[in-house]
Amino acid sequence: MDGVHDLGGKQGFGRIDRDHEDDPYHGDHDARAYGLSVSLRAERPYPIDWFRHVRELIDPIDYLTRPYFDSWLQTSLALAIDRGVLELAEVTGHKAPGPNTGDAKPLTPEDVRKIVVTPPNFERPTDVAPGFSVGGTVITAAQGHSGHTRLPAYARNTKGVIHAHHGAHPLPDAEARGEDVIEHLYTVEFRAADLFPEVTNSDVIYLDLWESYLAAA
Amino acid sequence: MSSFDPQKITEIHRHLHSHLPPEPALRVKAIESLLVEKGLVDPKAVDTWIEAYTEDIGPKRGAQIVARAWLDADFKALLMKDATAAVNDMGLQGQATGHLHAVENTDAVHNLVVCTLCSCYPFGILGMAPAWYKAAEYRARSVRDPRGVLTEFGVTLGDKVAVKVWDSTAELRYMVVPQRPAGTDGWDQEALAKLVTRNSMIGTDRDLSKGVA
Repeated sequence: MDGVHDLGGKQGFGRIDRDHEDDPYHGDHDARAYGLSVSLRAERPYPIDWFRHVRELIDPIDYLTRPYFDSWLQTSLALAIDRGVLELAEVTGHKAPGPNTGDAKPLTPEDVRKIVVTPPNFERPTDVAPGFSVGGTVITAAQGHSGHTRLPAYARNTKGVIHAHHGAHPLPDAEARGEDVIEHLYTVEFRAADLFPEVTNSDVIYLDLWESYLAAA
Repeated sequence: MSSFDPQKITEIHRHLHSHLPPEPALRVKAIESLLVEKGLVDPKAVDTWIEAYTEDIGPKRGAQIVARAWLDADFKALLMKDATAAVNDMGLQGQATGHLHAVENTDAVHNLVVCTLCSCYPFGILGMAPAWYKAAEYRARSVRDPRGVLTEFGVTLGDKVAVKVWDSTAELRYMVVPQRPAGTDGWDQEALAKLVTRNSMIGTDRDLSKGVA
């Protein structure tokens, strides 16, 4: 979707603020927001791109101005309310909190210690042969769509070269609709000068893109 | 069941915006009280998440990986070919290291990592991302004007150094392997690891010789 989250190449942003750059959290409430967000979310795992899409749907002003983990916490709340784990009226204070009616138990400290050392593997088997090979020239889709996607707007309708193939991964666009579609995933190399009109040097940008974002060129 | 309905989510966000306290600290406190009272969250689990990325998991892990790669050619070959396997070999696997890729700086190449669409980051080996990495300014500018961004961070590159920007748009995560500074012959892994800054593994730092003297 053409939301404010799709920031790559947008102009008008100023200097990068490096305050507190060595602190893992921006104060105690930021740390609590992080811990609460991941605890609530990990209790019943949600597809990663559904989480991303729900975060993208935060009010644009809030998205750009609220603290980072604050937006994670609001996203986790929205996911839980949408799923019926929590009632909106309980969160807004219009109703006293009822009992936890779900079948899942809250995460324990032991569960957390396990999760932080267990990387998920997103690669999935497929019988479909990859449509592109390393070194091949491709062109990205000319337009996006109103759902979730991982083709940034700045990289639409641009020629690039396949730099690497990574097997097949779930297509984020489908995952955010609750569908399971598996596609080949590639790293594609673009000339910065093909992406942005003012660039005259030979710098390059790499993006990880799914097969259906690409066509042979 | 999740609805997968963007319009429903937009409505939920609107209500949350209107009815929760506008001040972040108060908002977080109110949400924690509710989630604990409802039995959805164990506050000790919240503490455990926070502590994991305060005390245990941070950029020192990435620095050990880089220092070992500088010393051990076989390990470096594995890191460049399959960084996930290299991280597992060191027992440092964690969140977001399942599809890890290492990219190497040379005299002719400088690498810079960003996530323009959200804030993907290899936090299992670098810890929590710095606030600037997640901020709109960095996400917007680093693909369009990477050399300008680097100058702000004190990294000036000549025209002969090519810039490669890695926009993390899938579940792959990138770490930069910075160049080993001169004057470190005979240094052991611990001493070398102290030279490796977190920013050098993102790409917003390049010359690590400042720690050698």
